[in-house]
Amino acid sequence: MNKRVLRRGLTGFWWLTLVFLYLPLAVVVLFSFNAANSSASFAGFSLRWYQRLLGNEQILSAFANSMVLAIVSSVIALVIGCLIGYGMYRHRHRKLGWLIVLIYLPIVLPDIVFGISEMAFFVQIHEATGLLKPGLGTMIIAHVTFQIPFVALIVYSRFVGLDPTLFEAAKDLYATPFKRVLHFMLPTIKPALISAFFLSFTLSIDDFVISFFTAGPESATLPIYIWGAIKKGVSPEINAIASLMIGAVVVAAILSLFFSRRRRA
Amino acid sequence: MSDTISADIADKTGVAPAAKTTRHQASTRKASAIELRGLHKRFGRDTVALDGVDLTIQAGEFFTLLGPSGCGKTTLLRILAGLEEPDQGTLVVGGKELTEVPPHQRSVNTVFQSYALFPHLSVRDNLAFGLKMRGLPAEKRDAKVDEIAAFIKLGDLVDRRVDQLSGGQRQRIALARALVCEPDVLLLDEPLSALDAGLRAQLQVELQRLQKRLGMTFVFVTHDQDEAMVMSDRIAVLDGGNIQQVGAPNDVYERPANAFVARFMGHDNLFAIHHSEGDWVETEIGRLRLMPGEQRDDADGWLLVRPETLELGPEVPEGYNRMTGIVRERLYRGSRIEYRLEVNECMVMAVASNLGQRIHHEGDEVTISVCPEDLVRVAA
Amino acid sequence: MAEISQHAMRRRAVVGEMRHLLFSVTPGAAWIVIFLVLPSAYLMGVAFMTNGPYGLPEMPLTLDAFERLAGFGFLGWSPGNLYTLLRSLWQTLLSTTLVVLVAYPIAYYITTCRERWRPIMLLAVVVPSWTNQVIRTFGWMNLLAPGTPISELAEGLGLIAPNMGLYPSNFAVTLGLVYNFLPFMVLPLYAAFEKLDTAQVEAAQDLYASPVRAFWHAVFPQTLPGLLAGIVLVAIPAFGMYVIPELLGGGKGMMLGNLVATQFSGGSNWPLGAAGAILMLIATFIGLFAMRRIGKRLGGGEEVVI
Repeated sequence: MNKRVLRRGLTGFWWLTLVFLYLPLAVVVLFSFNAANSSASFAGFSLRWYQRLLGNEQILSAFANSMVLAIVSSVIALVIGCLIGYGMYRHRHRKLGWLIVLIYLPIVLPDIVFGISEMAFFVQIHEATGLLKPGLGTMIIAHVTFQIPFVALIVYSRFVGLDPTLFEAAKDLYATPFKRVLHFMLPTIKPALISAFFLSFTLSIDDFVISFFTAGPESATLPIYIWGAIKKGVSPEINAIASLMIGAVVVAAILSLFFSRRRRA
Repeated sequence: MSDTISADIADKTGVAPAAKTTRHQASTRKASAIELRGLHKRFGRDTVALDGVDLTIQAGEFFTLLGPSGCGKTTLLRILAGLEEPDQGTLVVGGKELTEVPPHQRSVNTVFQSYALFPHLSVRDNLAFGLKMRGLPAEKRDAKVDEIAAFIKLGDLVDRRVDQLSGGQRQRIALARALVCEPDVLLLDEPLSALDAGLRAQLQVELQRLQKRLGMTFVFVTHDQDEAMVMSDRIAVLDGGNIQQVGAPNDVYERPANAFVARFMGHDNLFAIHHSEGDWVETEIGRLRLMPGEQRDDADGWLLVRPETLELGPEVPEGYNRMTGIVRERLYRGSRIEYRLEVNECMVMAVASNLGQRIHHEGDEVTISVCPEDLVRVAA
Repeated sequence: MAEISQHAMRRRAVVGEMRHLLFSVTPGAAWIVIFLVLPSAYLMGVAFMTNGPYGLPEMPLTLDAFERLAGFGFLGWSPGNLYTLLRSLWQTLLSTTLVVLVAYPIAYYITTCRERWRPIMLLAVVVPSWTNQVIRTFGWMNLLAPGTPISELAEGLGLIAPNMGLYPSNFAVTLGLVYNFLPFMVLPLYAAFEKLDTAQVEAAQDLYASPVRAFWHAVFPQTLPGLLAGIVLVAIPAFGMYVIPELLGGGKGMMLGNLVATQFSGGSNWPLGAAGAILMLIATFIGLFAMRRIGKRLGGGEEVVI
């Protein structure tokens, strides 16, 4: 009897929490279809804000910046992080405390400290040498810095999960060092590489604070553009572009569910 | 699983034509002898894995490295495979010096204890891996894989995924993956230890037959002396990084070189020799006569009395040693009966075949007789 | 002679290994050192420099920035910065507590549901956090603005003055923080609940009369490592939060992150901002260190460090 009451209470609480979690997103999507320029009342369905998006060059260039930043930084982080992940695995019996601290540093450092450190540093280097002009380049550097640890840890944990004699079996079966990388290591960690790439990509797209402080005047990404628009005063176009980004996340969520189901089957 | 194995074992006369042709090809393979000279290997500062090992393994021999964990047998195997470099010493296989040749350039393959099948590859690709790494074109690889699959009777296993295989199936694939490369020497690192007892016994027989059919040099590592005796042409017993004895299974079992080998081969009846004089020795269990060949003047050492050589009963045949003991414990094992006898305050094990002889009871006093030929002196 | 060749062989092996270590680890380690360790060190140095005319740091070295941070300015002492600091602490404490109170029953509830539903339920909790932080916060701005149903309800209940709306306010910041960090707490707690030893719970139900005591003695201690991991994941980033107080808090909702950021964008007093950043770093490392210590004592150290 008591248990049933508890269970009903929990079920109610669960649905309430779901409402709490999705209400803000739902409101954004709802008002993106609002015919009126208001965020307080809904005045009928319209696609005008989406049409306005296509004509807004700032938004289109911000989208392009976001994509270039995410793809380029993820690729660089994948290569560097993969190497470091393998190094951590191969030399895991050594005392590598300094390396672990180094790798966790970007993860534990508060975003804001991360962002302003790099900004202050880049500004000084730029003044001294003319290099590292704030822009996409500095943003890519900053993003790679916080992506490396995630790639390294994913690759490392994949290697740790492998039977260590597999490495010996590859040697034993006539694979040269180069062929071991090509025919054994890379194919074996392929799932880890794919998920590390997608995690890096998502982290990059999601980041606002670090991008904000390392960006230059020409390199605004979508979140930076949205931030600026909010600061200037909310425009319903923001609802539309935000809805598209929410839609992309929902699609990604459904895909990830689908793939994890299929892998288990 | 077990069906395919027993089918393979039953196939002595070569019923399947495919198997016949492969057997012919298999027997033309050249086997290689192995020469190990003065091998030393140390891990860290204090752990001595090999302490000067000299060993010759004949071409086409089923050779077993036997010993407790930490005795150096696995290190020795890994040096043969090239996965470990010796600190000192040389390794020659088939007349070629291999000491510093990396593993991928050695015509030596290993069946690993954990099987080490590549999880990202199908069974077929696992089998073809070594051939592919050696640069064999795809059609030839396929032909060789099919050949070995028929030879080991893998049947439809070839088309499965690695994670769909049972332990015994994985073992067979690992074996096939190594054999398909036609190495000069095949190394087997406790390949049966992960299997249950019944399957292990079957595979012991199967492996031994396979080796005879191929005529390939097999170097097998195990800590199980029964397994070593069933399968091997010769056994090397290792302890503390040193070879204690090398010999045929019956040599090692019946004439152990020292007390360690005797104990490791499962002998419990070892008695300290206090004093020896001519053919006679004074031991913990009394004064006994040995064969003239066994006589040595030094007193230290042990006398090995194998339990199955003791006869219990009132009659003592001519020339036999005679002792008296009291039955302290009796274990009924069906085909045989084990006794623990107290002789001179020492415990002596005896095993009698259950032939309907008189069964002795706990507390009975019995006469024990043993032929001098069956008594073996063992160095300390 | 043999000794020499043995040494040479071993030295060659060690050199090979070290070269491999350098080759694999150097690019990443150098990247983090050059682009994060050096900048952080530089920032820490800035905190001890003098504020120049354009907000850029100059020599000589001084502790001015820390005095400014503590509230001592040209016009004597003012409590503004101290309030910001205390507000940051309070918001962190409050939001972390609320997140625990919501996440604990949710994580438990998910483990009681059928196994095939659990991944979907976890995904449902996590998906909102995959969207951009700015967008999520923007959603709450839409919800809490003056004239929205929620604001009007609060107005009707007499909680806020008419036409004010629920944002900007400290309440909105707390709400935003709870919303932002809820999944970070649900995931480790769920992992802890899933590993729960039900035999212990049943034994406790036998031994202790009341379910409350059974929970306290058998369930709660087992979920403690997950709880600690969640607290680290929530409290540390909450303390340094910038976006949420900036958008939902307004002038009176500022937290340390905003104080720091302002010095580098509008306000332009780098040394003061850097001093604030040092404070944040100290808080972060104290938090991590404390959790590690407690976690080790509980025997769940590995999980706490993630």
